[in-house]
Amino acid sequence: MDTLSLRSAIWRGLLAGFPHGWPPLVGVLVALALFGTTGLLAQLPKPNEYQVKATYLYNFGRFVKWPGAVPAGKGDSFSVCVLGQDPFGSILDSTLAGEALDGKPVVLRRISKSQDAGECRILFISSTEEKHLKEILTAIDESGVLTVSDMPGFTRRGGMIQFILEGDRVRFEINVTSAESARLVLSSELLKVAASVKRNGRSGD
Amino acid sequence: MLTRQDNSISRKLTWMNMLVSGAVLLLACTAFIAYDMLTFRATMVRNLSTEAQIIGSNSVSALLFNDPQSAENTLSALKAARNIMSAGIYSTDGRLFASYSRDLGDQIPEAPALPSDQIEIHRFKNKEVVLVRSIVFEGKLTGTVCIRSDVKELDSSLKRYLGIAGIVLSVCLVAALLVSSIFRKAVAEPIIHLAGVARAVTREKNYSVRAARTHDSGELAILIDAFNEMLAQTQQNENALREARDDLEQRVKERTAELEKAKSEVEAFSFSILRAKEELERASKFKDQFLSTMSHELRTPLNAVLGFSELLTEERYGPLNERQQRYIKHIHTGGKHLLTLINDILDLSKIEAGRLQLTLENVLVPTSFAEVVDTMRSLADKKSQRLLQEVPSGLSVRADPTRFKQVLMNLIGNAIKFTPEGGEIRLSAHEREGAVRVEVRDSGPGIPVEEQKRIFEAFYRLGETDKKTEGTGLGLAITRRLVELHGGNLGLESQPGSGSCFYFTLPVADVVETHEVQTSTMEIRTPEFVRILVIEDDRAAAQLLHSHLTSAGYDVVLCDQPGRALEMAAELQPSAITMDIIMKPVNGWELLSTFKTDPRTAGIPIVLVTIVDQPARGASLGADEYIVKPVKKATLLAAVERCLNHRKRIGRTRPILVVEDDAPTREFVAELLSKRGYVVTTAADGAEARSQVAASLPELVILDLILPEVSGFQLLAEWRTNARTADLPVFVLTSKDLTAEDQDYIRTHAGLLLQKQQPWQETLITQLRRTLPGVLSEKS
Repeated sequence: MDTLSLRSAIWRGLLAGFPHGWPPLVGVLVALALFGTTGLLAQLPKPNEYQVKATYLYNFGRFVKWPGAVPAGKGDSFSVCVLGQDPFGSILDSTLAGEALDGKPVVLRRISKSQDAGECRILFISSTEEKHLKEILTAIDESGVLTVSDMPGFTRRGGMIQFILEGDRVRFEINVTSAESARLVLSSELLKVAASVKRNGRSGD
Repeated sequence: MLTRQDNSISRKLTWMNMLVSGAVLLLACTAFIAYDMLTFRATMVRNLSTEAQIIGSNSVSALLFNDPQSAENTLSALKAARNIMSAGIYSTDGRLFASYSRDLGDQIPEAPALPSDQIEIHRFKNKEVVLVRSIVFEGKLTGTVCIRSDVKELDSSLKRYLGIAGIVLSVCLVAALLVSSIFRKAVAEPIIHLAGVARAVTREKNYSVRAARTHDSGELAILIDAFNEMLAQTQQNENALREARDDLEQRVKERTAELEKAKSEVEAFSFSILRAKEELERASKFKDQFLSTMSHELRTPLNAVLGFSELLTEERYGPLNERQQRYIKHIHTGGKHLLTLINDILDLSKIEAGRLQLTLENVLVPTSFAEVVDTMRSLADKKSQRLLQEVPSGLSVRADPTRFKQVLMNLIGNAIKFTPEGGEIRLSAHEREGAVRVEVRDSGPGIPVEEQKRIFEAFYRLGETDKKTEGTGLGLAITRRLVELHGGNLGLESQPGSGSCFYFTLPVADVVETHEVQTSTMEIRTPEFVRILVIEDDRAAAQLLHSHLTSAGYDVVLCDQPGRALEMAAELQPSAITMDIIMKPVNGWELLSTFKTDPRTAGIPIVLVTIVDQPARGASLGADEYIVKPVKKATLLAAVERCLNHRKRIGRTRPILVVEDDAPTREFVAELLSKRGYVVTTAADGAEARSQVAASLPELVILDLILPEVSGFQLLAEWRTNARTADLPVFVLTSKDLTAEDQDYIRTHAGLLLQKQQPWQETLITQLRRTLPGVLSEKS
C-alpha cells in the first residue's frame, strides 16, 4: 500500500470520527496536524528485504501441503534449511524461533551439501549455489522439499518459488509444475498472491 | 331523542371497547415489531459476520504476503451485498491494508480496537451497523476486517411492519366499533331506557310508568324488575300519601271551622265577661261610694247627737232635773250604741269586700295596752271590775295600731259586758315562738261548748233570749276578721262557770323598726308638758286620776302621803294640783289652806276631787274647781283645763278657725273649743275658709275634708304651697273613710288627723293644748 492511499484512508477515518456539525475549520486544523505526523510515519525504518523474505519463507510453509509419506528422518521436526551462504544472518533464526508448521516445531538448519537436503521441508538455496543448482535440484527431486531462492531464473530452471523485487516490495514467482512433480500441493491462496505462476518450466505471466 | 348525557353509558362502552382493543393491538404490534426487529438485526449481524469471515479467510494470504491488490479483489466481492456501504482490512499493526466502498463517498470504517478475548464485535450507530472481526489464520491473528452496513433494510421492514400494524389496528378498531354496537344493544340501551324512565318519574312524578324488559335473566333484568317493583311500591305509597293528605286537609278544614266557631263563641263570651266586669266594677264603685257616703252621712248627725247630749249633761247651761238628766243619758247611750253599730256594719262591709287596708307598723304592745285600758277603765269601773294588764316592756307586734286597739277594745268590751260586777278582767301578752299571743281572760260565767263555735258568726249574740246585754253582735266577727287580716288567729278557751279566755296571735315586730313607734310617741309628747300633782291616798282612785290625766297628755305625779304633799308641790311647782278631801293623817281642807297660805304654792290652781259634796266650802278655802266623785274624765279634764287657762297671763286674740259644712257639728266643735277658753271662728264651706284665711291668719284650722265646692284636700294643698300659710297648723277632722294614701298625705301635711268613727274630742283638746300651749281666751 502506498503512503497516499494510507493517508487518504486515515484522513477519511478521521473525518468520520468527528461528530457531525463540527466546524470545518477545526477539521482542517486537525488534518493539518496529522499530515505532519504521517510524514514521520513514512520515515519509519522499513522492514529489511531479508526480514520480509524470512517471514515469507515461514509463511510458505503454511500454504503448502506435503505428501502424506514423509521420510522418516523428517518426522519429529519441520526443517527449514539454508543451503549455501546464508544471506539472512540471525534474522531467520529469530523469525523461526518458537514457531511450528504442520504441527511440528520448526528447526533451522544450515547445510552445505545437497545430499543433506533430503530431510528438509523448505530449502532456501542461496544465490551462491547458482552454479550447482542443477545438481541440487536433481538431488532433492521428488523428495518433497519446497525449494525457494532469490537467484534470478530459479523457477525457469526448475525451482519452485523465486523471490523477486518489484521496486522495494518483495514478491515471488511460483513454478507449479516443479511443485507438483515433488508432490507438493500449493494453496490457491498462495497462488493468488504470487506475482506470477509458471507451468512446465515456462513462465505463466 | 337521547341527549349527550343520555347516551353517555353507550359512549363509555364504545370508548371502553375501542380503548381496550386499541391498547391490546398496539401492545401486540409493538411486541411483534420489536421482536421482528431484534430478529432482523440479529440476522443482519449474522450475515455480516459470515461475510466478514469469508473475506477474512480469503484475505489471509494477501495479508501474509503483503498483497493489498488481492485483498481488494476479495473485498470487491461485497458488491453483491447492496447493504454494505464500505469495508476495510487492517493489518495487525492497525494499518488499513485494503478497502472497499459501495459508493464513492462512503467512508472506510476505522479499525476499532478489539478486546483481546473477543473475536468479533458489532455496534449499531446512526442508521448503520459496523462489524469488526479478527482474521485468524492457524490460531494466529493475521489482521482485522471491518464491515460497515446500512440499515435500510431494517428501516424499510420497520416501515412495512408499521404500515401493516396500522392497517391491522384500524381494521380491528372498526371491528371493535361493530362489536360495541352489539354491546350497546345488549347492555347500554336497557340502562339508557331505565335512566330515561327514572328521569321521567323524577320530573313528572308519574309513578305509573314501567321500564320495559329486554332480557329474560341477568343482572340487568333484575335491576329493571327491582326498579319496576320500587316504582310500584312508590306508586302505592304515593297514593296512600295522597289519600292521607286529602283526609288531613279535610280534617284541617273541619278543625279550622270548629276553631273559628269556638273563637267567635269565646269572643262573644269574653265580650259578655267584659261587660259583666264593667258592670261589676261599676257596682263595686257604687258600693264604695255608698259605703263612703253612708259612713259620712250617718256619722255626722250622730256625732251632733252625741256631742250635744254630752254637753247638756255637763249642766253648763243651766241645771237639769233628774228626769232630764236621765233622758239625755238615754239619748247619749242610744246614740253611742247606734254609732258603734254603724261603725261595726261599715267595718264588716269593708272587710267582707276586701277593702280594708291595714297600715302595718311596729306597735309597742305596752303602749297600746295602756291606751286601751285607759279607755276601757271607766266601763269596768262602772261594774266595779278590776282591769289588769300584764305585758313585758318593749314587746312589740307588727300590726295596724288603730285596728290592734280596736281588737283589744272589742275583746275587753265583751269581757266587761259578760262578766258580773266585781269580776276581774286580765289582759296579757307574751312572745311565743316568733309570735305574740295576746289574751283577754275574764272571770265571767264562761261560754257553753255548743256556743263556742257559733260565737264568731255575725249577728250572733250570746244568750240571745234574755236581752240583758247590749251590743251589735258584730264585734267578735269583726275582731276575728281583723286578726285574720293581720295573719293571726282568734281563739277561745272557755268552760262554763270558770270564765273565758279569748286569745289571738300576731307576728312579732321587726326589731329594726321598733324605734319608729317610739319616735311617734315622742312626737305626741311635746316638750312643753304640763305637770299635774295628784294628791290621793286611795290607790285605785289615784290610778284612775292618773290614767285620765295621762291620757290627756299631762305629766302626772302621784302623791299618796298628804303629809309630804306641801314639800312635793313646792319642789315640783306643778301647773295644777288635784286633791282629795278625805285623807289621813291630814285631811284635804287642812291641806288646801296650807297650800293657799304658803307663798310657794299659793299660786298653783287646785282642783278638789272628792265624794264630799261641799263646793262652797272648797271655794271659800281657795279651791279653783270642785268635782264630786265619781269622777267623769271629761269633767276632770275640763276643770283642769280651766284652772290652767286661768293661770295663763298672756292672752292671744287670734282665733281657731273651724271649717265644717254640717251646721250641728260646726256648732258642737265651736262650743267644745270655746268651753275650754279658745276663741273660735267658723266657715261653712271651703271658699269661705279660703277667704277668711286670706283675710286674717288664724292660730289654727280644724278642717273637715268633705266640703261643698272646695274640698279640704284642696285647701290643705293650697295652704301648704303658700309661704304665708305653709306653717299654719291644721287639724283634720273627718268622718270620711280614708285610704292609706289619703292618710299618708294628711299625716305629712296636717298636724293631726281625727276620724269621727272613733272618740275624738279628747284627742282634739289634748293636741290643741300641746300645739297651742299659750293660747288663752281673755274672756275666760
